[in-house]
Amino acid sequence: MEQTSLSSQIWKEIKRGYNFIFIKDMPLWVAGIGLGILAILIFLWRYPWGISSGYGNWGNQLYYYLGFGKLAGLKEAPLTPWIHPVSVMNIGMILGATGASMMKGQFSTYLAPTREYFKGFLGGALMGIGSTFANGCIEGGFYTAVGVFSMGGFMMMIGLALGSIVGVKYLIWEMLNWPVKIPTQKPMEDKKTPRIDWSKVYPYIGGGIYILICLSFYVYSAFDKTVVGGMAFFGLWVGFFMQRSRFCLQRTFRNPFMTGDYEMVKAVILSLIIYSAGSAVIKYGFFQPETHGIDHRFWLGSLIGGGIFGLGMVIAGACASSGLWRAGEGNTKVWLAIVGFCTVYPFFKNAVKTTALGPFLGKGVYVVDVLTWTWTPVFYVAFFLAWYLLAVYNEKTEKFVITF
Amino acid sequence: MDNLENVKADIVLDTRGLSCPMPILRLKKELKTTEAGKIVEVWSTDPGSKKDMPDFAKKQGDDFLGYVDEAGYTRYLIKKGG
Repeated sequence: MEQTSLSSQIWKEIKRGYNFIFIKDMPLWVAGIGLGILAILIFLWRYPWGISSGYGNWGNQLYYYLGFGKLAGLKEAPLTPWIHPVSVMNIGMILGATGASMMKGQFSTYLAPTREYFKGFLGGALMGIGSTFANGCIEGGFYTAVGVFSMGGFMMMIGLALGSIVGVKYLIWEMLNWPVKIPTQKPMEDKKTPRIDWSKVYPYIGGGIYILICLSFYVYSAFDKTVVGGMAFFGLWVGFFMQRSRFCLQRTFRNPFMTGDYEMVKAVILSLIIYSAGSAVIKYGFFQPETHGIDHRFWLGSLIGGGIFGLGMVIAGACASSGLWRAGEGNTKVWLAIVGFCTVYPFFKNAVKTTALGPFLGKGVYVVDVLTWTWTPVFYVAFFLAWYLLAVYNEKTEKFVITF
Repeated sequence: MDNLENVKADIVLDTRGLSCPMPILRLKKELKTTEAGKIVEVWSTDPGSKKDMPDFAKKQGDDFLGYVDEAGYTRYLIKKGG
């Protein structure tokens, strides 16, 4: 028998480990657990996890440097995107998705038909408006809101479901009456074979991205901004879990009405059980103030904002978070959605803040203030159970699936 | 999956350039009028299709035969169930 050297055996094990972490398909429930834990860590680190204010920061740059700062209520230059914590986290997410898709060999940019770009922009703009009304996107306004016991999260959920129904109805109508034409493409043989086979290079670039961002703690510490460096690190791993499993909060609300599929519902419930249990410990144990993160406009803001956001995400084909990882893996339609989001967000954010619209839309309500710690856990268990059973029932009967 | 290359599809559905959820929605529409036993071939550029297509076919009770990677897109083969 041929003896394999110890070093080649160890190398084989390392390759298996790499394959397990970065190549093998990741089940949604694994990502659900991973994201729940990350959300708790982010909450402890400094801020409850959100995404929209990062887009807001990018939009603010646009307004300020094009001379429209007044429209966004900007008196001075906004924080630069590499210092603004949420922006940094979003950049971490995009790069995390880019790196992960490169390592898996999924990274590819392709062009979409023109109307899809328009839909991307419009959907993004609707999501931007919805986020300002609810004071959070699907991530901050629903996922984190439910996780940190903010009433707005539950109301936004209803809005998201209603908006998704309208969105799915539109997509079906469009497909039947006004289908997007697929441009006939030239056969690929016509193209010159590129000098470099990028598919061989990508995994190394992807790995490099991961190593670099893991070092962000040290880089930012050198400028006395360790907290911001941490945001890049957390963003990276959020992007990792999301891209690897194709974790898509939009699908949670859209698919029950489209096909009856409820895989994402299960993953989100699992994730929220972990997140809410963790934040209960954090809040009850006074590691963070009880009302930390309770700023979602309950209840009109969450409901209307959720509705607008839900419609926008279905039209854009991505929500705020899945937009980041889809953009990272090369989906060009979603890039336009991000532009749309950033373009409208600062204006509406300022309008909600400075006009009577804000008080009209409501203010943050803490679930524990309403139900006390005695009944809050009971309510949460009942809520998760009811949502799960409803999704299963719908999958079996297709009662809520929109037929055509 | 090399014998898949030779499978002859009855219907070809080009969804290249469209992203989630349109490839699935268009497939759902096509399968409504497809006779049992016929093979539908979907062309997609969306990376999500690799998971969505088999999941959807399974849920609908159709037979997912597999996929073939081409330059710049992927062909998915689904046989309509009875």
